[in-house]
Amino acid sequence: MVVMEDVTKVYPGKDGGTTALDDVSLEVDSGEFVFLVGQSGSGKSTFTRLLTKELDASSGRVVVGGRDLTKLRRGRIPYLRRSIGTIFQDYKLLPGRTAYENVAYALEIIGESPRSIKRMVPEVLTLVGLGEEGGRYPDELSGGEQQRVSVARSFVNQPRLLIADEPTGNLDPDTSIGIMQLLYRINRTGTTVIMATHDRDLVDKMQMRVVELENGQIVRDQRQARYALAD
Amino acid sequence: MRKARFFMAEAVRSIRANMAVAVAATTTVAIAVFVLGAFIPSFLFVQSAVDQQKDRIDVRAYISDPATVEQVNELRDAIATMENEGTVESFEFVSKESALEIMRERLQDPTILEELPGNPFPRSYIIKPSDPERSGEIIDALDDLPAIDQSAGVVDGGETTSRLLDVARFIQWTGLGLIVILLVASLLLIANTIRLSVFARRREVEIMRLVGGTNWFIRWPFVIEGILCGLVGAALAVVLLWAVKVGVVDNWIVENDEGLTRDTAATIGFSALAAILVASGAIVGALGSGITIRRFLKV
Repeated sequence: MVVMEDVTKVYPGKDGGTTALDDVSLEVDSGEFVFLVGQSGSGKSTFTRLLTKELDASSGRVVVGGRDLTKLRRGRIPYLRRSIGTIFQDYKLLPGRTAYENVAYALEIIGESPRSIKRMVPEVLTLVGLGEEGGRYPDELSGGEQQRVSVARSFVNQPRLLIADEPTGNLDPDTSIGIMQLLYRINRTGTTVIMATHDRDLVDKMQMRVVELENGQIVRDQRQARYALAD
Repeated sequence: MRKARFFMAEAVRSIRANMAVAVAATTTVAIAVFVLGAFIPSFLFVQSAVDQQKDRIDVRAYISDPATVEQVNELRDAIATMENEGTVESFEFVSKESALEIMRERLQDPTILEELPGNPFPRSYIIKPSDPERSGEIIDALDDLPAIDQSAGVVDGGETTSRLLDVARFIQWTGLGLIVILLVASLLLIANTIRLSVFARRREVEIMRLVGGTNWFIRWPFVIEGILCGLVGAALAVVLLWAVKVGVVDNWIVENDEGLTRDTAATIGFSALAAILVASGAIVGALGSGITIRRFLKV
């Protein structure tokens, strides 16, 4: 589903810039659940943003769902993003729209008919536990509720890959578990999930594949692992 | 069609959600269009007055009533020679009857002509010099010919006309310059307001890009919004201009119309002006927002 080959990302700046990812190679198969862990500044966000072509790799190859992103034309980027569900730490909901409208927007983009939008959005909102909250605006919802809307939006058009960048970063532990459970259920339907996080408790509970980044390099790639190596 | 409806609804939603900005943009368009809409017809009026003055620089050779056919032919040949030499651009014979007819058309109250005992208007040649500055040469060449009516003679507008022309030309160029400055200033003002309104929503645009919206999918509602603001702003200005025209200008024209003659300088018709202004309002709105948003679509 995702292949990274010798990927390096350098942010331009003084003294040759900042190297965020340094010669990273990784493969993620379809249906996998992968935690991307590491300190702030270890390159987790850069990693996830390369997958949606928000950023371009300085060198190396990034392949998502068979598309070589290093060769993808700018005009094709929207179509790439439609095939990937994205969840952000700051939710990124459209402020002037209700929860319902935010989810519907993702379907309007792909030209879904009004009738199927009317059918699909309430279904998905119910699935994330917000069946009754569809008419509320983001600023009337708690952080956890907003993130649920964001999750609903990310998978309403059934993407095969879901990328979550610190989805629980702004949430308390109980709410985080709720979001985690949602992502797990989505993963069980066959969707590949890549989640960047530094939430130690969550990672330890889940016992999934863990890829650890440090200073832009992969220092550990372990199946059924915990957040940190057992001392 | 479904998409068009969706974009329209998105535009209306965005205007309602950002009412203050939409009002600011619309007002800016209204003010700019009003100023231009007041200035352009005034300028055209002056220009038309200038053109009329230019057209009036004719040399007129009045023919005495008793002149014979041979004498008139001699005069005509003299003028035709100058036409061949290039001094004269064109010339035209005016009979006594057409002279009377022309006067009848120019008078607001032609009945006063009925009171004349006969036809007092002489035959004449209207000669258009190729260069107004050289009308003196033409006068010198024709003045002594026997066909010429010695009391009326061969005349042109004289010093006054040429001085008037200099002034008018100055007004015309200054006016053109002012229009260009006004146009640029209005465009910048409108573009700036629209830029502010798009800038206020750059985060929204960025989110739309991140969830997979194509550039045009995101842009269309903004363009429609720009068109709506442009249309409404221009329409407001047109209503205001109409009020000024009916309330002030038309009255002023009536009050100051003291002359006998009807040939006042023309300007652009109000409906044509209104159509141009409203169309430009819409175009400026569409381009303004469509271009400004481009910067935020690069995510």
